[in-house]
Amino acid sequence: MRRWQPAYNRVMYEVFEHTADLGLRIVAPSLEVLLAEAGVGLFEIIAGDVGQIRPRMERSFDVAGTDPEWLLLDWMTELLAAFTVEKMLFREFTVTVHSTGLHGTARGEPYDPAVHTLAHEVKAVTQHELAVRRSATGWEATLVVDI
Amino acid sequence: MTEPDRSYSGPLERVDECCYRIPKSYRPGMRVDGLIFADERLIEHVRSDRAAEQVANVAFLPGIQAASLAMPDIHWGYGFCIGGVCATDPAAGGVVSPGGVGYDINCGVRLVRTNLTLADVQPVLVQLVNQLIRDVPVGVGQGGRHVFSPAELRQLMREGVEYLVHRGLATDDDRACTEAEGCIADARPELVSDRALARGQDQCGTVGAGNHFIEVQVVDRVEDPLAASAFGLAVGQICVLIHSGSRGLGYQVCDDALRALRDAPAKYGITLPDRQLVCAPVESPEGRHYLGAMRAAANYAFCNRQLLMWQVREVFARVLKKPWNSLGMELVYDVAHNIAKIEEHTVGHQRKAVCVHRKGATRAFPAGHHDIPDRYRAVGQPVIIPGDMGRASWVLLGGPRSLERSFGTTCHGAGRCLSRTAATRAAKGRNIQHELERGGVIARSRSREGLAEEQPAAYKDVDVVVDVVHRAGLSTKVARLRPLGVIKG
Repeated sequence: MRRWQPAYNRVMYEVFEHTADLGLRIVAPSLEVLLAEAGVGLFEIIAGDVGQIRPRMERSFDVAGTDPEWLLLDWMTELLAAFTVEKMLFREFTVTVHSTGLHGTARGEPYDPAVHTLAHEVKAVTQHELAVRRSATGWEATLVVDI
Repeated sequence: MTEPDRSYSGPLERVDECCYRIPKSYRPGMRVDGLIFADERLIEHVRSDRAAEQVANVAFLPGIQAASLAMPDIHWGYGFCIGGVCATDPAAGGVVSPGGVGYDINCGVRLVRTNLTLADVQPVLVQLVNQLIRDVPVGVGQGGRHVFSPAELRQLMREGVEYLVHRGLATDDDRACTEAEGCIADARPELVSDRALARGQDQCGTVGAGNHFIEVQVVDRVEDPLAASAFGLAVGQICVLIHSGSRGLGYQVCDDALRALRDAPAKYGITLPDRQLVCAPVESPEGRHYLGAMRAAANYAFCNRQLLMWQVREVFARVLKKPWNSLGMELVYDVAHNIAKIEEHTVGHQRKAVCVHRKGATRAFPAGHHDIPDRYRAVGQPVIIPGDMGRASWVLLGGPRSLERSFGTTCHGAGRCLSRTAATRAAKGRNIQHELERGGVIARSRSREGLAEEQPAAYKDVDVVVDVVHRAGLSTKVARLRPLGVIKG
């Protein structure tokens, strides 16, 4: 099980076991930080190590919806599309949740085979085991990506 | 964060030596039994994850016929298990579910034979595998040399392999030896989204990553000489196995459908035990929309494997310094193992058109079936079963009992038994490439993860899986092939 612990407290994601695919479990003090951490987790799966991605460019995303689970799924799907269509790799994320959806920014750079190694081809972010819930200390979520 | 229990503890009643039943009494709402083809060697694998629960979940789908089925290479998927088969009757409100096909629409395999022997290839094997990984796009983020405009992609998805015949990238024989002759009718490319087209524009003719590969193999055993002869296979002969699907285009078609169908169960009054089973009646605007786009993606996948084969032919010609047709590089057959098709079957005593979902399962029609190419109709449909890169793959023959037992379906591979994370842990401190080489297999991968996660130990023994479908009469053994060289993402 791979764990990654950022500088700030009480935020974590881990990659969990799923027979053919990979699962991501995230714990965070707020929904916004949880969504941002999910972005890091997705690109850790794609690139193996987000440390190799330089935050040189910024992209904005707007996702509509109020259900936290659909919001997480649709946000992840938009990030994945930015990689699959425009070959963008991201490492830093900021998310603001508002009454009709979310506004997110992602910082990274275009994939360059001379600079970056990639680890997994993520086909899609699935609804399988998708869950976002409040916990005693904040929020937690699980999702599975199809490899 | 604690790990939930992921094993199955529900009922598995022995039906016969190759089949177990989950009775429909197991959970209220199941419309039919679940039937899992397995024997005592495989049943512990079945109990080890949630796949059997998914077989029970599929039994809830409206219009499901006979039983919710699973092949012996069953493992945990999303919504449907991998190795799952489900037929629904459109006339009885039967549904189509994108989860019953999977993200990689028309993932499948094709086998190419050659007139080369092991002695011909052994001296140039390393050069051949190195040239394959240089010339054939493989791995994450690898685009191909064939780039199609949106208009060209739509034409390709409408016409299938025939489009490539016109472009000089396929022969009439290639087309004839592909399931559905490389073109599923009633495809609706105009329903494929711009995002899917963007993902697919430079990926037709690329392997991708995950469990996809190209493998050089040798026929090491023939079990059915008559069928092997009909398929042009003999002991000692070199073949090439290609495993890939519809790439990013197909993944996006599935993703688009799952989003479009979010409200369909409520609209049609369908209660589901797992939202990944999201579905709509086949005869509804949503169902027809998905099937039209899915068929378009399936035709793209046939073209992807065709362009991969074309590039493999070019590599062999370059390394062996002879034109590919003088090397006898002919397509044996190309089969889909992730697809939904409208087919005629007998259910009870009634002949009816049903929507057969095969997710990690292969069509396996017996001799005489009208959907088998003329050249094979007298013996039966070739079925290609990739194993793992260290042990074996198989060529089977559509079995005598496949139509009565499994809607003309058999397994699709060995089936995973280790998760990707467990396989990576097991590979720590080892060099999988060297291990394979010591076992006589030259392996080249674009990523460290590719070999670690796909190492032979991550899969069940394909010989055991094939033995079960053979004894169950779903498909019978023709030839076993041993890997010599493999390229992966």
